Amino acid sequence: MSTEHAAAKASHDTHAGLSAKGLKAGSVGLIGAVVIGVSCIAPAYTLTAALGPTVAEVGVQLPAIFLVGFIPMLLVAFGYRELNNAMPDAGTSFTWASRAFGPWIGWMGGWGLIAATIIVLSNLAAVAVDFFYLMLAQLFGNPELADLTLNLPLNIATTLVFIALACWISYRGMETTKGVQYVLVAFQLFVLGWFAVAAFSHVANGTAFDATAISPEWFNPFAVESFSAFAAGVSLSIFIYWGWDVTLTMNEETRNPEKTPGRAATVTVLVIVIIYMTVALATLSYAGIGQEGLGAGNPENQGSIFAVLAGPVMGPFAILMSLSILSSSAASLQSTFVSPARTLLAMGHYKALPTKFGRISPTFKSPSYATIAAAIAAAGFYVITRTTSENALWDTITALGMMICFYYGITALACVWFFRSEAFSGAQAFFFKFLAPLLGGVILLVMFVKTAYDSMDPAYGSGSSVGGIGLVFILGMGVILLGVVLMLVMAKIRPEFFKGKVLPTGY
Amino acid sequence: MRYVVGYSANARGHDAVNLAVSLARGRGASLDLVLVVPEVQQFGAAHAPKAGFENLLNEQARQWLDEALALVPADVPAQAHIRSGDSDAHALIEAAEELGADVLVIGATSSGLFKRFTIGSVASALLHASTVPVALAPHGYYRQEALTRISCGLGTRAGAEKLLDFAIGMAANRAVPLRVVSLLALDGGDSTAATAAREYAEKTVAAAAPVSPSGVQLAAKTEVVVAQGRSIEEAVDGLDWEDGEVLVIGSSRLAQGRSIFLGSTASRILRALPVPMLVVPSGYELKHQNHPTSNDTSGEAPQ
Repeated sequence: MSTEHAAAKASHDTHAGLSAKGLKAGSVGLIGAVVIGVSCIAPAYTLTAALGPTVAEVGVQLPAIFLVGFIPMLLVAFGYRELNNAMPDAGTSFTWASRAFGPWIGWMGGWGLIAATIIVLSNLAAVAVDFFYLMLAQLFGNPELADLTLNLPLNIATTLVFIALACWISYRGMETTKGVQYVLVAFQLFVLGWFAVAAFSHVANGTAFDATAISPEWFNPFAVESFSAFAAGVSLSIFIYWGWDVTLTMNEETRNPEKTPGRAATVTVLVIVIIYMTVALATLSYAGIGQEGLGAGNPENQGSIFAVLAGPVMGPFAILMSLSILSSSAASLQSTFVSPARTLLAMGHYKALPTKFGRISPTFKSPSYATIAAAIAAAGFYVITRTTSENALWDTITALGMMICFYYGITALACVWFFRSEAFSGAQAFFFKFLAPLLGGVILLVMFVKTAYDSMDPAYGSGSSVGGIGLVFILGMGVILLGVVLMLVMAKIRPEFFKGKVLPTGY
Repeated sequence: MRYVVGYSANARGHDAVNLAVSLARGRGASLDLVLVVPEVQQFGAAHAPKAGFENLLNEQARQWLDEALALVPADVPAQAHIRSGDSDAHALIEAAEELGADVLVIGATSSGLFKRFTIGSVASALLHASTVPVALAPHGYYRQEALTRISCGLGTRAGAEKLLDFAIGMAANRAVPLRVVSLLALDGGDSTAATAAREYAEKTVAAAAPVSPSGVQLAAKTEVVVAQGRSIEEAVDGLDWEDGEVLVIGSSRLAQGRSIFLGSTASRILRALPVPMLVVPSGYELKHQNHPTSNDTSGEAPQ
């Protein structure tokens, strides 16, 4: 009977092929792909989190910066797509940078990706908690309930509960289904549209807080007063397009792999840009950028702009905004857990982290250790920022923008270097594998260095500082430095990966 | 004969493999170990491309299946399969139908804290949709030797004859004794109901025996037992169970078409049962009747 066993082992490979064939290939159509793209971006959440901090940097040039911010994202996404086609891998930036630049830069690229997703997890949870209490207040007509989120221990406790719940759902391998995702996306777009219409009608009726006439200057990126402000604005607006690249990397799961990904990416970005422009213009013309009251320049409003503006603008229907942001950020919280968990899993698998990170739960078939590690890191990050910063949400988003610039920059340059031998083999290769990622990567790394340098100023971001150095710098650089330290420790205890034996460079 | 085993790399999966080996040894059946990996969706995973994760998942699944094959003794032929699907239960049913399986074997649960059986979500979904008989291994099932006795839980409703035919065929094919069990939840002393149940069971057995080709000798070996208790659980506890025994029961009349639906009585039996349970869909006919065992090593007497 041992032959039976041998035959069974030999049949493994065919069955692995079978299982790949068993996938519902081509189940995602154009609309499905657009929904995936919009849900990854989560526009209601990104706007409430990033609109305020961006206004603080660039004032009325908000629409201009939102438009300009898309350019480096587009350039980098081209490179991302090339790498994903050549080396589809769960480690993404980590694997690609390792294959291009060797283990050290690869490890830091992976660390940047993990850090960015951990930071956004803690921010998503915090935003969800704010709107959770705000919604309770609107539901029971008791404004005091909304202030519960200002109670530090209660706020931290609730946020940790949200993170733990999302981690548990993710660990159990449960995913937001297609139907739920369609509803969430439609609801977000509907509520954001409502907000914009309501804001413009207040402006028209003369009931706006600080009616400001729209001017062509708002669309002029060169009107931003300084390069520092410009860099900070761009690194923030990278965040609002983060996740769009997923539409470009969908291939075999789309019904028409030749055309759907490109069309979906185009439609997604059109939808997103239209909604961003409309809401940005509506917010600026309704509230102005004044530092008082409802003004978009008021530091009090920066952390979560809709928490402040939805009530005055939408009246009793503001509860819809709360519901939309709460539901979409809760869904994003859960779906974003997948990202650091898979990257950590891949790093464990390639021996760049302790083996236990590479574990997959036999019962739920999801990354087990890695998911829990991501939750603990996100919780830890939130507790630290919440207790040290005057405006944790604001500073977190600024640090997040920096971190995205860091790992996207490395990824884009990895594309340029990895494909260097094919760069001049044709016009298409030259543009997609060389020029676009090179420009995108350089722009993002310049933004990263400039923002990092500026953020040493204690007045940067929300103005929180530790020992005379800006908190954003300490958060951003602290996370990167922690990565360097962990990398050196790993190189000491598990040198195999760092000798370039696991992921050799080149093809 | 092919038995499909729903495998997962945990205690539940080991229970299922042990029971499958035990069932296969009496019949010379071959095993198909099926591990279901979730379909990796683009919906619900932000900032994480799926392609690479699928590879890691499949690699891990292959490793798990190699470990699983090592659990199967050399005299039982076994193959391993990876299937992907949103629902473990649906993927297993599909695999069972595609492979032409005669039985689908699963571990009922990995952690029944107080009772021997608590139904896991996969098992419960299977019990509501399977078109082939489902064998449920209790928590911690370790036995790999061939069965020593078949028990058949007999109700009084329509379909009981079919179920009894199935059990008779099963016992005959394996050359093991059959025991027909009537479980009654009664307040003590209601002997008329017990007598009625016994009469009914004996009549059914007598009626079934001549129809079943191999049942003639078997009828003599068939024992009829009426178990009473204040509850079904107590009635189950009151019976003696052999280690190598399996209880065959039918699916509820609520089942649609030829699939299984576990009725409330069956669920309660399951909670108290110390041995594996084989749930047969209503209207299911035993294939390969009267094909005696060939390559088993258990030394069963030839028919």
